[in-house]
Amino acid sequence: MTFDEGQGYAVLATLAAPLLAALILVFIPGTQKMAVRYVAAFFGAVMLGLSIYVFVAYQVDGEQIQMSLKWVWVENTAFLGKDGIVLNLAVDGISAPMALLTGVVAFAGTITSWKINYRNKDFFILYFILLAGVYGTFFSFDLFFWFFFYELAVMPLYLLIGVWGSTRKEYGAMKLTLMLVGGSVLIWIGIFAVFNEANLGTFDMQRLFAAGNDGTLSPTFQKVFFPMFVVGCGVLAALWPFHTWSPDGHMSAPTAVSMVHAGVLMKLGAFGIIRLGIQMLPVGAEFWMPGLMVLGVTGAVYGATAALTQRDFKLISGYSSVSHMGYVLMGLATMNQIGITGAVLQMFSHGVMTALVFLMIGALYDQAHTRDMKDFGGIAKVMPMWVVFYAIAGLANVGLPGLSGFTAEFHIFVGTFQTYPVFGALAIFAAALAATYMLRMFSMVFFGPFNPRWKDLKDLTPLEAMAGALLIASIVVMGVWWAPFTDRIGTTVAALPGVVG
Amino acid sequence: MVPLENYLVLSAVMFSLGVYGVLARRNAVLVLMSVELMLNAVSLNFVAFAAYLDPERITGAIFAVFVITVAAAEVGLALAIVIRLFRNRATSNVDEAAMMKW
Amino acid sequence: MGAEQAWLLAAIPAGVFFVLALFGRYLPRGGDYLGVAAIGASFVLFFFVAADFLSFYDFEAHKTFITESISWSEIGNFKLRQGIHVDAITIVMFAVITTVSLMVNIFSVGYMKGEPRYYWFFAVLQLFVASMLLLVMADNLLLVYISWELVGVCSFLLIGFYWEKRSATEAAKKAFITTRIGDVGLLIGIILLWKETGTFDIQQIIHAAEAGEIGQTYLFVSIMFVFLGCMGKSAQFPFHVWLPDAMEGPTPVSALIHAATMVVAGVYLTARLLPIFEAADGALLVVTIVGLTTALLASLIAFAQTDIKRVLAYSTVGKLGLMFVALGAGSPAAGLFLLMTHAFVKALLFLGSGSVILGTHHNQEMDKLGGLWKKMPITGTTFFVATLALAGLPPLAMFWSEDELFASVNHEWGLWALVLAMLAVFATAIFMVRLFIRTFAGEPRDRQVHEHARETPLVMTGPLVFLCVLAVVSGLFVFNGVGSALGFPGGIGEFVFLEEPERYAIDWTLAGISLAVAVAGVLIGAYVYWGNSLVRSTRLAEAMPRLYAALRNKFYIDEMYQYVIDRGVLGVSYVVSWFDRYVVNDTGVDGSAQVTGYSGSILKYLQTGRVPNYAMAITLGVVGLTVAGLLVRA
Repeated sequence: MTFDEGQGYAVLATLAAPLLAALILVFIPGTQKMAVRYVAAFFGAVMLGLSIYVFVAYQVDGEQIQMSLKWVWVENTAFLGKDGIVLNLAVDGISAPMALLTGVVAFAGTITSWKINYRNKDFFILYFILLAGVYGTFFSFDLFFWFFFYELAVMPLYLLIGVWGSTRKEYGAMKLTLMLVGGSVLIWIGIFAVFNEANLGTFDMQRLFAAGNDGTLSPTFQKVFFPMFVVGCGVLAALWPFHTWSPDGHMSAPTAVSMVHAGVLMKLGAFGIIRLGIQMLPVGAEFWMPGLMVLGVTGAVYGATAALTQRDFKLISGYSSVSHMGYVLMGLATMNQIGITGAVLQMFSHGVMTALVFLMIGALYDQAHTRDMKDFGGIAKVMPMWVVFYAIAGLANVGLPGLSGFTAEFHIFVGTFQTYPVFGALAIFAAALAATYMLRMFSMVFFGPFNPRWKDLKDLTPLEAMAGALLIASIVVMGVWWAPFTDRIGTTVAALPGVVG
Repeated sequence: MVPLENYLVLSAVMFSLGVYGVLARRNAVLVLMSVELMLNAVSLNFVAFAAYLDPERITGAIFAVFVITVAAAEVGLALAIVIRLFRNRATSNVDEAAMMKW
Repeated sequence: MGAEQAWLLAAIPAGVFFVLALFGRYLPRGGDYLGVAAIGASFVLFFFVAADFLSFYDFEAHKTFITESISWSEIGNFKLRQGIHVDAITIVMFAVITTVSLMVNIFSVGYMKGEPRYYWFFAVLQLFVASMLLLVMADNLLLVYISWELVGVCSFLLIGFYWEKRSATEAAKKAFITTRIGDVGLLIGIILLWKETGTFDIQQIIHAAEAGEIGQTYLFVSIMFVFLGCMGKSAQFPFHVWLPDAMEGPTPVSALIHAATMVVAGVYLTARLLPIFEAADGALLVVTIVGLTTALLASLIAFAQTDIKRVLAYSTVGKLGLMFVALGAGSPAAGLFLLMTHAFVKALLFLGSGSVILGTHHNQEMDKLGGLWKKMPITGTTFFVATLALAGLPPLAMFWSEDELFASVNHEWGLWALVLAMLAVFATAIFMVRLFIRTFAGEPRDRQVHEHARETPLVMTGPLVFLCVLAVVSGLFVFNGVGSALGFPGGIGEFVFLEEPERYAIDWTLAGISLAVAVAGVLIGAYVYWGNSLVRSTRLAEAMPRLYAALRNKFYIDEMYQYVIDRGVLGVSYVVSWFDRYVVNDTGVDGSAQVTGYSGSILKYLQTGRVPNYAMAITLGVVGLTVAGLLVRA
């Protein structure tokens, strides 16, 4: 077993850990709730460890694609040629930080879900299947398996929200699932069209990327099918105007699902735009990027504006997610190295800070059973640690230097200014709006005269504090010392087709 | 040898009787029997054609055996459904078994 | 310990911030001694840094600086370095920041005694000072922006320190958001400058701008964006609204914000980038006009305020305006000199008013004070000195710095600007005298308050005395002799230079006029406000009711902003939210679901549930297809 092959098994283990967790949970009786929790927490920790390992073991000066592992599944049959469908796992500079993100958020979500009591076995089974899908999507270099894992990540959401959710959960779950599945249909059609057009008899992404670059996929074809991928993946990335599942879905989702969903799943959409859009259809990307830029800016400003007057915590976070994912799309649309690197940074940054935000909202909602900000006031008196954690998440959201949000937004702004200065200025303005809605929430909820109705609220439990501390650590590390991220992302981004330095 | 047309005419008559039975009868058992009639008509066709067109091999006859097998399974299932229906509704009238519509 | 290690100045308080924030609550006395020790260490280190810097300062070339940087991140050609740059401007800023913060820290030990969250106050204070120190030694605009924002968030935390009070929270929010709007401009400006020069390094950008590598219009636009940030932070019109409200924070914080950190950041950055302003035609004029407008506006508003701290706040706004006027005249020496003297004087005034507030058990309305001098002799005396210093009387500090300001304004812009600047100084003299008389002199207006007033302890009066000494002597730095003795011959005017430093020589004509203006202001103020009757001032107010109302209400600028925010920004937000709910969501998304559901509700009638119907449909279908097939074949 060579070194790289061994690394490949590390990647496989990362993907297999949640599946194994789900399998083991199946055999634990549902009445043994504590056993379920311990198993879940154990596997959460294992995933975190493996994810950190994958991130660290990715060689900055090495090849673009490392830790590769190929298991042929079907080949040389019917319409499939050599390497037809292969379980092709590998890591590049973009998926390495995404894997780390998944590990961090998944672990935080797992220990946050400790307090779930209603059918927690079923909850964790679905939760781990979802995570396996997420890891699989980030690691797959085979179009078939990419889509397989992508769907695997989306589907459990329906049950997770529909069964364990709150406010209008059936509506939220149904809307979210239908919109995402609608997007998936577009992607699926696109994948078959690409397979057919390239006519290589393989779903191997690297060969299809090459086909996209050398003209096997004709420019007209690319221009027609690029929007399909962007819209299909964009739905998951809250691309304006396909974002409305985000506020409603988050409003109804249970805490851990919101964390994983906003923290990781939304990134799958942006990741899909990179993989399927920019890498596979470079000509189409170049043609359509100004359009994506407009949609991204619209989302960024629109989300921030709509968040200004919301009164529900989760709606604020839902709209601010729209705004921040707008930045991601802007970064991608710049088609230059700084901008796309910034977009990937923002994917990570938004992941950890939104997970933290939803963790905090959940910690309050579980006790207060209301999310109307007008009901609160002076909460800092009874929940000081909660306030500090939430404030850090909020300030990261605002783009305060020293926290991850700034690092990401700064790179995106610089990238955008290279090509579209006016849009860049608008985006910076939207960041000022972010300060406004965040501080409005701070002053309504955290500060001001104390409302005695809330005198019985408890501060964060040790588990919640631990999850929060982990997320804050990620936020601060990326905000202060971002070189480990930019080193990995930057080189991979530079190798993307059509990207200028 | 009896000409092929005779078999075909018999088969057509049986099939038409079957169609009529399915369309006109209200009793579930009779409808089932009519379906069997149609299947048998088809089987008869298979066997007849096989004997006339390709006497060397017996593909048609094999197909007929398959049809009979499937028909047996089908009847088994269908009768079970009819019995359940009769138990629950005290009727075997297919018009009254319309609970599954909107 | 050389000047290369200047980063320690910021690192020590920053480290103490983490210690206090995490463990402060478990330490005896909230760890306030750690805070004082950290700033004290920075204060001491400053002297080493300054001595080292002066030891190899080249007084001929005037281009000495020390720079140290490390690589931070690299994305292709986008290489970021972080580092420090120490030159004369930095040294002056270090002096101001470390001195004032040390005094404020010591004062706070007395002032904040017994307050809740005592440890947290000191923790944030450390971070505040550390970010400010980092800001003045940053060698690149990115690091400037980073520390700039950290300063902003610290001010948010400190202004909103008493978060149980709605007004404090609102003031903190206002300060952060107002400056943040300016920061939008700053970030845009920084990125625009980067786009043209490919670097964030300040010296390289200045070099490129001076060499004419950047187009005139482009340069003007980008430096104006940067200036927006400076205006926001330094509370220049129209961003000045946050500063008076910022006095909702604890008084030592006000002293820090007004004197050493926060507001001087904008002045510092403008001074630092002054060569770029000079390279862009018209930029200096904009700076001057903004400065003059702010100075006059603030001086007028200060007349009608009754809260001690609010009067002082408007005087700060006015003096900051004058600093920008000095910079607009192309004289960083005058600007920074004014900044320094003002910092000492204003810190003294705020700490003095803090002493009054504590001594009178939290009273800061002038209408209830008066006659406090006898009760609080040290506070009263130092406040008296500071008042005269701020009014611009010689030989106190601000006279000399304002004199240099007038000289440079006269040289650069001529009479009109000089007259306007003097007008602002004149107004300041009047309202400062009003403030002093109403607080310390005359008969007490409120017996109750007066009886219980007492002098504050040494830990608070000590800093007052120290700053009072500085308020007297710091103006003398301008003289060649004093400068030579301290190691920078030529005085501050030659130490902080740009190009071709104009050797400071007192223009006795201007000095005379300036003295006359200040004395006139003081006398008029004393005439109008002397005694308890308030007869003259009331008559004056009644003579011009509209003007008085306008002044009292700060020219209704806050109300105007409130209106714009409520009707404009929030209105747009309501429209967008409505659009998102009813158009995008309910029509676009739910609408398509409803169309699907509606078509289903119609088509469902095809499903009769009767087996014969289905059988008939199948039969007809087969027959139909057969017929169609035959027809096609035929």
